[in-house]
Amino acid sequence: MKRLLSGLVALLVLVGCSAGGGETKPTDNEIKVYTRDGSSGTREAFESIIKLEALTSNSAETSSNGDMANQVSASPAGIGYVSLTTDFAANKLTPVSYEGVVPSVATVNDGTYKLARPFSYVTRAAGDFGSEDKEALVVAFLDYLVNSTEGRQIVLAAGGIVDVEQGKPWAELKVNHPIVEQDNSAIVLKTGGSTSVEKTLTAAIESFIPMAGNFKYEPNHTGSGDGFKRVLGGEKDGANAIDIGFASRSFKSEETVDAGLQSGVYAKDAVVVVVPESNTSVTSLTAAQLVEIFSGKAKTWGDVK
Amino acid sequence: MTKARRIKDGIANAFTYLASSMTLIILVAIFAFVVIRGKGSLSLEMLTNNYWSKNYLVEWAGGDSGSFTRPEHLDETVVFSSKYGIGFSDEISHEKKRLIRVSYIAEDSIFNASTNATKGEGYGEVFTINVGDQIEKIEAVNETGTIVSMGTIFSDQAESLVMKMDTTSHLSSLYFKTPGGGIWGSLIATIQLIFISLLFALPLGIFAAIYLTEIARPNKFNQFIERCIEMLAGVPSIVFGLMGIVVLYPITAFFNVNGLSILLGGLTMAVVLLPVIIRSVQESLLVVPRDYRSASLSLGASQTQTIFKVILPSALPGILSAILLAVSRIIGESAALIYTMGTFINDAPRITQGGTTLAVHIWTVMSHEQPNFELASAISIIILILVLILNVSVKLFSKRLDRKLGI
Repeated sequence: MKRLLSGLVALLVLVGCSAGGGETKPTDNEIKVYTRDGSSGTREAFESIIKLEALTSNSAETSSNGDMANQVSASPAGIGYVSLTTDFAANKLTPVSYEGVVPSVATVNDGTYKLARPFSYVTRAAGDFGSEDKEALVVAFLDYLVNSTEGRQIVLAAGGIVDVEQGKPWAELKVNHPIVEQDNSAIVLKTGGSTSVEKTLTAAIESFIPMAGNFKYEPNHTGSGDGFKRVLGGEKDGANAIDIGFASRSFKSEETVDAGLQSGVYAKDAVVVVVPESNTSVTSLTAAQLVEIFSGKAKTWGDVK
Repeated sequence: MTKARRIKDGIANAFTYLASSMTLIILVAIFAFVVIRGKGSLSLEMLTNNYWSKNYLVEWAGGDSGSFTRPEHLDETVVFSSKYGIGFSDEISHEKKRLIRVSYIAEDSIFNASTNATKGEGYGEVFTINVGDQIEKIEAVNETGTIVSMGTIFSDQAESLVMKMDTTSHLSSLYFKTPGGGIWGSLIATIQLIFISLLFALPLGIFAAIYLTEIARPNKFNQFIERCIEMLAGVPSIVFGLMGIVVLYPITAFFNVNGLSILLGGLTMAVVLLPVIIRSVQESLLVVPRDYRSASLSLGASQTQTIFKVILPSALPGILSAILLAVSRIIGESAALIYTMGTFINDAPRITQGGTTLAVHIWTVMSHEQPNFELASAISIIILILVLILNVSVKLFSKRLDRKLGI
């Protein structure tokens, strides 16, 4: 009797668990909106550029760029957004133009494709690095990251958008930085700020380490807001102090980056709206139309004005 | 037994079965989930490897090509360069990155005769790539004297890399990485943190518990202390993290420990653990029979002697379970440590530097742009195994102690 009861209960619980999570299937012409998880930098960029205030509750979250590509291509009425580095053809996706501009490395570099964000950097103030060697090393690294062909190649390979053609060979730039010709294994370079820049930045720094005397590297990235704060703001002398701060946006007017030794943009990141290949009716969307779709105002493709 | 009574009893019993089977199902579900997701990434290499790859740049004075024949025993998936005598294979790392790994180097290949190009220690000495390392970038010169670059950075795979290599006449430099992605550093940092936290928290907690149960008179002030300890147990750990960075950081900075450090994390955890340790030591002191105290005092021992020679040894099992609870709490803590130890995964952690425990390591891997569920689950399996070993060993230990003490 007891055994029977407990067996029954277990069965009931299991059935209850598996029955949950069912969804109603949307009709074919109803738009299915796909978005990224809350911690995604791509999502933050997309929503802030099109000025989306509230996402529709009828949307599905995807866990990564690859996951997003898979799900959108498998859903005939789906729409989502991915990074420009995605292979559209292999994933059976059509990239949608934004405000009439086709997304490509060229249009992002010349600034006409607006659904893009800069990867900005700012350093500590001159003379505030703790040692002259470290300051020279920071200057050398930024020269490598921003201006050299080799640095740009690596940023491009890791998913940042830069114009490699415009770079100068590192062999030419190296002569201005005698610091890279000595043993720097005692220097620890600390970076922080945006989490979106981590992939491109880490790839660039790792390749620079053996070229510049084997210095040590500590990334501690917690979000764009901390980039300025920890090099020039309130936490610059605290436990979290860093040498170079990053933001995956332009620095705000209240972030006075002029006080730093150097600041600028080293690459761009573009977000591309995608629909599955089977959907041939959508080729270009404006910010206003995207807001209609992603806020749930437009339920079907016919509602999009 | 009337019918109504039987139905009532039946319902009551059903609820007890339901509740206990629920806990079992939940536990099994958690185990199943992490094992299914994580078993692919779980390996001895993951446990003993460093998280960060080491980066090396080597160069050749000559670097001229030769001609090599493909060895018989080489696996079919390996792409072999007959010009330079090296074999590569494609691999997807558990961080979902495409890699080109070296899987074979011929004995007289120039890849066994490169020199270190990094300024500093060992500059210019012979330094070579090993089987298992990852090719990032090779710079070479072709017949016409133009520089050709290839490797993972130029989105090559093993096949295209070898095709490009075979068009060159000599190699000039190679940038490669050692395999990474392991959790060895976090494992060491976890052990260091446990040690430091207990070093501070155990004496404080045990003596406070002795004071409260044995010495303190039940007056308003002492009751107030008891209330405070109970309150401390209910404070969210993220608040402790903030307290650590604001209040305890100046203390560690005074001892010349700058930045986030395992020491700071340990001090913060000591505060978090105090209520846990005080509670469980108090409970074990309370169950020591009154007769022990009376017997000891009537034989002429002072109160202090009684406490330290009679009562404390009988409370040993309680102290042990306090340690177990504390260690489990440290292994499971994340919020307070993110603030005080940072989220930088340190491969060779020291007390005076930051680091991540296994739990914070999970947080770090999951907070990347591409969250890595598989690696996180693999680390979860290791955490679960650790907690299980702790549980079993303390159970065995206190059983032996009980037998020894004759309780």
